[in-house]
Amino acid sequence: MKQPDSIPSDKQHLSMTVQRYRPEQDDAPVWQSYQVPYDDSTSVLDALHWIKEQQDSSLAYRWSCRMAICGSCGVMVDGTPKLGCKTFLRDYPKGLKVAALANFPIEKDLIVDMNQFLHHLTALKPYLIGQPSSASEPNRQSPEQVKRYQQFANCINCGLCYSACPQFGLNPEFLGPAAIALAHRYNLDSRDQGKAERQPALNSKNGVWSCTFVGFCSTVCPKGVDPAAAINQGKIVSTMDGVIQWFSPKQLDTTPQEPTS
Amino acid sequence: MSRKPYQPSMPANWWLKHPAYRFYMLREATVLPLLFFIGSLLYGLYCLSQGEASWLGWLNWMQQPWVMALNALALLASLFHAFTFFRLFPQVMPLRLGGRTLPASWMVAGQWLGVLLVFLALWWLLGGYHGSN
Ligand code: SF4
Ligand code: FES
Repeated sequence: MKQPDSIPSDKQHLSMTVQRYRPEQDDAPVWQSYQVPYDDSTSVLDALHWIKEQQDSSLAYRWSCRMAICGSCGVMVDGTPKLGCKTFLRDYPKGLKVAALANFPIEKDLIVDMNQFLHHLTALKPYLIGQPSSASEPNRQSPEQVKRYQQFANCINCGLCYSACPQFGLNPEFLGPAAIALAHRYNLDSRDQGKAERQPALNSKNGVWSCTFVGFCSTVCPKGVDPAAAINQGKIVSTMDGVIQWFSPKQLDTTPQEPTS
Repeated sequence: MSRKPYQPSMPANWWLKHPAYRFYMLREATVLPLLFFIGSLLYGLYCLSQGEASWLGWLNWMQQPWVMALNALALLASLFHAFTFFRLFPQVMPLRLGGRTLPASWMVAGQWLGVLLVFLALWWLLGGYHGSN
């Protein structure tokens, strides 16, 4: 059998224990250990490739770009959410355990069903709203205006922050870190006028107020998005929104059916 | 082939499973010794309203080793909570001056400076009280 070029067989080895879940035969995930060769440049994703090519072609996992930009290779490494392509075996000389991303249903082996996250993301309308599109004039934005939201625009939808969030684990209805960070990103964009459409969901009990600032989402984010900052800045926005609604006579007129019991 | 997704569940002791969660729970647990401290203060206020004997009784009660130990713990806990809170503050309220965000380290330093000033002010006030006695 031909070895992949990146990992010659005379390398040192370590033990990588991988979580398997084969829906046709398993009722719950099981662990399986492999001795994998590695050098300084071997990523967890490289090691998974090696297992699949050399040991067990049935192993299932996601990947695409292998350069930390597509966001598909998220796994738990020793209990911490990581991108497989951005995590290196050299940092785990005593071996490592690789599992499917936490807090999501497992479809097969390391592949999870991220629909809940994507559902929350679409609910918060992460796109420019109310922007006048004119073919002749570009929409101008100053560097300062870009800077206000740029950090939150770096999200690659990898879902690591959802696996890090115990509040999402306990309540999957919580809109969660990345979706709220992206809502915040568009709310901060000078070209956007969609805040009023996003705010009801953000104000709701599954919105920003479900967050207790554990802060682990920001620690694990591979892109420095700092979703915890976005959510907690969102609490200030939500409070201001509530105060404005409280004093707005227009709002009182349009909500006459307040429960009076 | 039909799907059979495995639904994971959070164990009741999830907060013991990762150092990040243990740190978070430690931060939240700082409220417990602080509750004791607030209880002590309220008890003192009540004793104050009951006359001198009761007040002196409270002073004695406060000097018991176990009460002093718990209140020392409350002091440590509040300092630790302040440490975590001051670090989070720049994330929640980034200050912008002339289109630039103030470095987080400056804001953290500023908050500790505030603590120091309050501490010195209290020191001065209480010192003045002792001096006039
Ligand atoms: S906020 Fe960070 S961790 Fe969360 S999905 Fe986006 S890039 Fe991934
Ligand atoms: S393979 Fe694309 S982010 Fe890892």
